[in-house]
Amino acid sequence: MTNAGIIDRARQQGRTVLSEVEAKQLLAEAGIAVVEARLAKERDEAVALAKEFGYPVALKIVSPQITHKSDVGGVQLNLGTAEEVTAAFDAIVAAAKRAAPDAPIEGVSVQRMAEPGIEVIVGMTMDAQFGPVLMFGLGGVLVEVLKDVAFRVVPITARDARQMMRDIQGFPILQGYRGQEPADLEALEALLLKLSAFIEEHAEVTELDLNPVFAYPNSAVAVDARIVLAAPTA
Amino acid sequence: MPDLQSKLARAFRPRTVAVIGDKRAMGYLWLRSMSTFTGKLYSVQIDPDEIPGIEELGVPNFPSLAEIPDEIDYAVCSVPRTIAPRIIADCAAKGVGAVALFTSGFAETGEAEGAELQAEIGRIAREAGLPLIGPNCMGLYNPRLGVRQSAEQPTGEAGPVGLISQSGTHAINFGLNGAAQGIRVSTSISIGNAEVLDIPDYLDYLAADPETQVIAIYAEGVKDGRRFFESLRRASKAKPVVVWKGGVTEAGARAIASHTAALATPNAVWNAVVKQAGAITAESMDDLIDVLKALLFCKPGTGRGMGLMAMTGGQSVVITDAFVRAGLEVPLLTAASYEKLASFFNIIGGSYRNPLDMGGTIGFGGQPQHLERLLQILDEDEHVDAIAIELASGFMARRWQADPASLDSLLDLLQAHRERSAKPFVTVLHPGHLEDVASQARARVGERGLAAFASFERAAAALRRAIDYWRQQEGLD
Repeated sequence: MTNAGIIDRARQQGRTVLSEVEAKQLLAEAGIAVVEARLAKERDEAVALAKEFGYPVALKIVSPQITHKSDVGGVQLNLGTAEEVTAAFDAIVAAAKRAAPDAPIEGVSVQRMAEPGIEVIVGMTMDAQFGPVLMFGLGGVLVEVLKDVAFRVVPITARDARQMMRDIQGFPILQGYRGQEPADLEALEALLLKLSAFIEEHAEVTELDLNPVFAYPNSAVAVDARIVLAAPTA
Repeated sequence: MPDLQSKLARAFRPRTVAVIGDKRAMGYLWLRSMSTFTGKLYSVQIDPDEIPGIEELGVPNFPSLAEIPDEIDYAVCSVPRTIAPRIIADCAAKGVGAVALFTSGFAETGEAEGAELQAEIGRIAREAGLPLIGPNCMGLYNPRLGVRQSAEQPTGEAGPVGLISQSGTHAINFGLNGAAQGIRVSTSISIGNAEVLDIPDYLDYLAADPETQVIAIYAEGVKDGRRFFESLRRASKAKPVVVWKGGVTEAGARAIASHTAALATPNAVWNAVVKQAGAITAESMDDLIDVLKALLFCKPGTGRGMGLMAMTGGQSVVITDAFVRAGLEVPLLTAASYEKLASFFNIIGGSYRNPLDMGGTIGFGGQPQHLERLLQILDEDEHVDAIAIELASGFMARRWQADPASLDSLLDLLQAHRERSAKPFVTVLHPGHLEDVASQARARVGERGLAAFASFERAAAALRRAIDYWRQQEGLD
């Protein structure tokens, strides 16, 4: 499905939240590296996708009404065999039905488990006065507890992207702390710039989260993605 | 607004000023403020009880703007709020360059009546293409032309700082406090509720104003964030812009609502906007003046290596901490410098690795030739990009009090260094047991065009931001 098609379909279905599969497809088309996720409606499809992507894989529930997927038992990680994928598919669907009996279930998304990297989050929120604002931070506790994040208004320049990364207290972690390999700052810079361009092109996007992005020595990839559209104006 | 910038150019350098509605009960606040105006001053007052008092001040009074037989470049209006719409319409009919509405009781009251009145005067002004400053503001200060916001403000010499202030108090105080430290104003505007003209309009004007070298802003909020950002970015390319934001805490933001009715912006977003636009952040009136000193009194420099000079061991330690904490560096000097220093530096009770603990070497001012030599060595040292010196106001205050000429000769020496050297140069005079002497000494340092600060921390924080600005202008970082 094309870029415009994904948004149109969500709109037609009265949805403002895109699924992870849809969000990642949109972002991938904009040149942003994502861990590809595809929708499996049946368990056999899930096994076929797992084989195509290569093990281990992660499975997640896809339902427009279930946003906190892990809270309802809708996520299973590190699945290494076809048997595990089959069992996980059934368990996820059953758990989702138990937790939200009325929620329509589109299926289960399948994606390859990403190699662990330095966890980064990138997001966008709408400020009442300044419009779309891009956010960058390190993942996990650093962003949640210490609010160690940097902001810039969209659009950003390459220099803004570089300064954003250096603005956070945790920047030394990206440079390679205690013998850890450094993160690919150029890849992160490119990701920020492409995301800024994507937001500029899509005025209908009001909220966007890439959480986490894994930064590696030679690349960076968005492992999870969430996109929220503006509610249609009457 | 069409032709806004040419209208502002007319109003901000007025040849004629009209004060509308000044009263005895207010102590003729506005007529007294304008008593220094170098152009033609008129009063408009219809109340027969008020007219004799106004005429006693020597100001010609007219019952209406229309009857003044002259064009009016700038008008200040302090009529009751319910009459304000009529007076604004009069200003529009007269073709006044711009009008500042001192009257308050508009959107900042949080009541429907005030908000509606503000919307009404806004509509009248916009439809007529009349630049309206305020309401709820103190208008313009142009010291060169003697147009003032308060009868306390100095006039005569114009300075290089253009100020945009969302608070009248801060605008007046900046004119006073700044001038006391050698920081003078070109044009200052108290913008109040910013119903028609907002920060970006004034910013565009000051960015293009040849009399303004540096722009300072006190802001509580802006109506159109995008427009502010674009205008701030344009201005920052032309000259340094320092932004002091009020209401950065939740409780402070609540106070904003009843002060100027501006909308709050999350602080992290605001700071990011200022940085992204290439402007400089300040956190208080003192901090604002400090940063302006570093921008105006120091030569522009992009290097972070500090050469530090203090009188004693304890001060050498803490001056170093202060500059490093501010994000600057205190490098070792070159071998050539150490060789020169070794030839005369007094290491009994002193040291010269950087910082220079130099009290003994310069005889606490008694051996100025050594001080001169130290400054020269640091100036020539390629590891040193900027120099800071402690003037030991604690020890020296008594001597400066008894013998003012001793301070003069020290300042001659420092001023000569500043003129010779291309490196940013800051001085620190701490308050102490004789704070009056120290503060007078600080003012005298400022009069020489030297940057004088009241603590190492303040000097370091201000210099750091000036260096960051020049680095950014050079495309570094």
